[in-house]
Amino acid sequence: MGRFLARRLLHLGPVLLGVSVIVFLVLHLAPGDPAEVMLGANANKEDLDRLRVQLGLDQPLHVQYLTWIGHVARGDLGRSIWMKRPVLGEVLERFKATLVLTGTALFLSTLGGITLGIVSATRANSLLDRCSAVASLFGASMPVFWLGIVLMVIFSLWLGWLPASGMYAPYGGGGLRDLLAHLVLPAVTLAAASITIIARLTRATMLETLGQDYVRTARAKGLGERMVVWRHALKNALIPIVTVVGVQAGYLLGGAVLTETVFAWPGVGTLVVQGILARDVPLVQGGVLVIALSFVLVNLAVDTLYAWLDPRIKFQ
Amino acid sequence: MKIGRLVSLAFLLPLALVLGGGAATAQPAGTLVVGVVAEPVNLDPAQVTDFNSNRVGRRIVEPLLTFAEESTQLVPNLAESWTISPDGLQYTFKLRKGVKFHDGTPFNAAAVKFSIERQINPEHPASKIGKYPFANYFFGNVKAIEAMDEGTVRFVLKEPRASFLVVMAAAAASMVSPAAMMKAGVDFASAPVGTGPFRYTSWTKGQAVVLEKFPDYWKGAPKIERVVYRPIVEDQARLTELLTGTLDLIVGVPADFVAQLESSPKVNLLKQVGAHVWYLGINNTKKPLDDKRVRQALNYAVNKEAIVRDVLKGTGAISRGPVLPGTWGADPSLAAYPYDPARAKKLLADAGYPNGFSTTMWVPESGSGMQSPVAMAIVMQSNLRAVGVNVTLQTMEWGAYIAKLRTREQELFALSWAAGSEDPDMVMYPLFHSSQWSPNGPNRALYKNEKFDALLTEARQVTDQAKRAALYREAQKILVEDAPWVFVDHEIQIAATSKRVQGFKLHPSFDLRVETISLR
Repeated sequence: MGRFLARRLLHLGPVLLGVSVIVFLVLHLAPGDPAEVMLGANANKEDLDRLRVQLGLDQPLHVQYLTWIGHVARGDLGRSIWMKRPVLGEVLERFKATLVLTGTALFLSTLGGITLGIVSATRANSLLDRCSAVASLFGASMPVFWLGIVLMVIFSLWLGWLPASGMYAPYGGGGLRDLLAHLVLPAVTLAAASITIIARLTRATMLETLGQDYVRTARAKGLGERMVVWRHALKNALIPIVTVVGVQAGYLLGGAVLTETVFAWPGVGTLVVQGILARDVPLVQGGVLVIALSFVLVNLAVDTLYAWLDPRIKFQ
Repeated sequence: MKIGRLVSLAFLLPLALVLGGGAATAQPAGTLVVGVVAEPVNLDPAQVTDFNSNRVGRRIVEPLLTFAEESTQLVPNLAESWTISPDGLQYTFKLRKGVKFHDGTPFNAAAVKFSIERQINPEHPASKIGKYPFANYFFGNVKAIEAMDEGTVRFVLKEPRASFLVVMAAAAASMVSPAAMMKAGVDFASAPVGTGPFRYTSWTKGQAVVLEKFPDYWKGAPKIERVVYRPIVEDQARLTELLTGTLDLIVGVPADFVAQLESSPKVNLLKQVGAHVWYLGINNTKKPLDDKRVRQALNYAVNKEAIVRDVLKGTGAISRGPVLPGTWGADPSLAAYPYDPARAKKLLADAGYPNGFSTTMWVPESGSGMQSPVAMAIVMQSNLRAVGVNVTLQTMEWGAYIAKLRTREQELFALSWAAGSEDPDMVMYPLFHSSQWSPNGPNRALYKNEKFDALLTEARQVTDQAKRAALYREAQKILVEDAPWVFVDHEIQIAATSKRVQGFKLHPSFDLRVETISLR
């Protein structure tokens, strides 16, 4: 177990290095550079050339990349070209907010999805199951920004129950209750698509598991239906579900970008989007590295969970 | 069962907590909460290029001259008076006495010298701790800055430029505390120290920038205690926050929301024509666009009334030329090109294109000052098709767009210009003088007319405004006749405030002067 974890963690290095090279190249393949974006369409060439030199953009690409990676090796992600502030602090501060949002959304979608899936499976083809199928179709097809705005109009503008945007009220807020109030709409918006995916998968695997011989045996020996479903069948159906939850965690981290933008949530997603528009290479690199790192860690956690769920799986 | 109970608890607990609390928390008395469309980049106006950052930064630092209320006429600010040498090369400013920076250090001639020299002199100690994007554009013509005594400073120019006073009112010409900047280093840009009505208090990244009033402000302290700027990108979210009372002021109200807000009893709506022009640039060197008759035909073919009415919903004023109507340099006798497709067709036929021609139009998806670029371009495309000009639209992301515009490959291209001032030199010279051809300058229409060039150069060398106005009027007549662009509109900026906001006025320079506000 220990050796397995150590080896997996060692793989992190090459993965993150690969991610940084790709992000670096993609940002440089897109037309336009930070100096151009900062100065806008109407700048004169002298200002542009001077700014390029100041920002080190006159250096060849590989020199720019090696300079950056040299700083990263010393734990310095550099300064944002655009904001002039250190990238590491900026990204970590924003990442906390993203973690709160995606964590909550993951919690909601896992719990909601599994419950919904089990209920649908045990009452297959009932009215409830059909409603859940329609709701799933709806949830999976609605774009996040549309759903977010609809929820905002209903619950903030019309009903006045929940705040429309931000993470805390600028005044009189700051506590857990304030955070939760601000969290409801974005978390539900972000979770909507994942809930339905997890629910549909849970339903399918549960239906399969409930048809197995050992379930019939359990029923035959007189176990209560709840015991059969929640204890015997669910644990065996969990492996594919855990896999899809792991995938959803990655999806949620990525999907948070839109949700954060709609609800002015101060997360790393909005920061990276602004960074991309400004061609702010250090900032985008920092943000993407943090997201990539958390995605790799989530996958590691999922792999570890497999073995816990099914003792037949061995760490290799 | 246990899991089932846990599930319902997990869902209901936060909901109960939340609904028990009620949603909106009102801000304390004296606090103005402003919803801005994006987070400021940093707060040192010499180091930023966007309206958003400047709207906050300009509350903290101020220039020597400023614009009057609701116009861009120059009035004294940190300089009480000034004299210009007869050759137009020396500008001597008398500074206001007894003004202090927020850190308690005095504002004086040395501070003026520091604030500008840091941008243009690479040997200056503060040169390395900042990046000054428009230094050359604004101050490239400055040869020397001399602190004559504590309260007098002289700028010596390389060549005469009558609009130099306007430059000294620009955000980039704001005065910063030398002591504070040398102490803070690179971080000064995030928390600048100036002489303005508000001082920097805090910045919670992604959430809020807070400024509080400077009690010793030389014009008298503002009536509100503090201003909170909240970045809210999504239009609907900004609007909802205003209507539910958690924001007091929003700018950048989308055209589609104007009617809804106009009828709302909860808000006041403000409108003001900005010093801005939206244009369809024409490459004056490419066939068949190098023929004046073809360019005039395009001007007749585009239905500007329809664009302003149906796409912009009244948030634009039809443009007759690059200079804002009603300002000293504008020519009141100048008429906008009317919508006249028949005339356009005739001009095309005269130029040898009775069956029209095909061309491309580059359009950014969005961009500062671009209003609704794609929707506007689609209207123009169908207008041009009606007179036989087949236009292929190419939409691009903003960063990619401005990079493409340096290639000189453009045929038709949508762009805008916010001069921040009514002085015609700030619009006509960079956009139409042949010395400013792209990629060296912003003349991307690659327009050149020797008589026009001579008029503009002459207008830079005389300082008398009436004489300058006459020269600019003549130049505008040439410009409208040559039709290097399709002149489209001047943006009408829209702001909405809660009913408790009193005394707020929009400014044509797109600045957001919240220091005039009092709260009911």
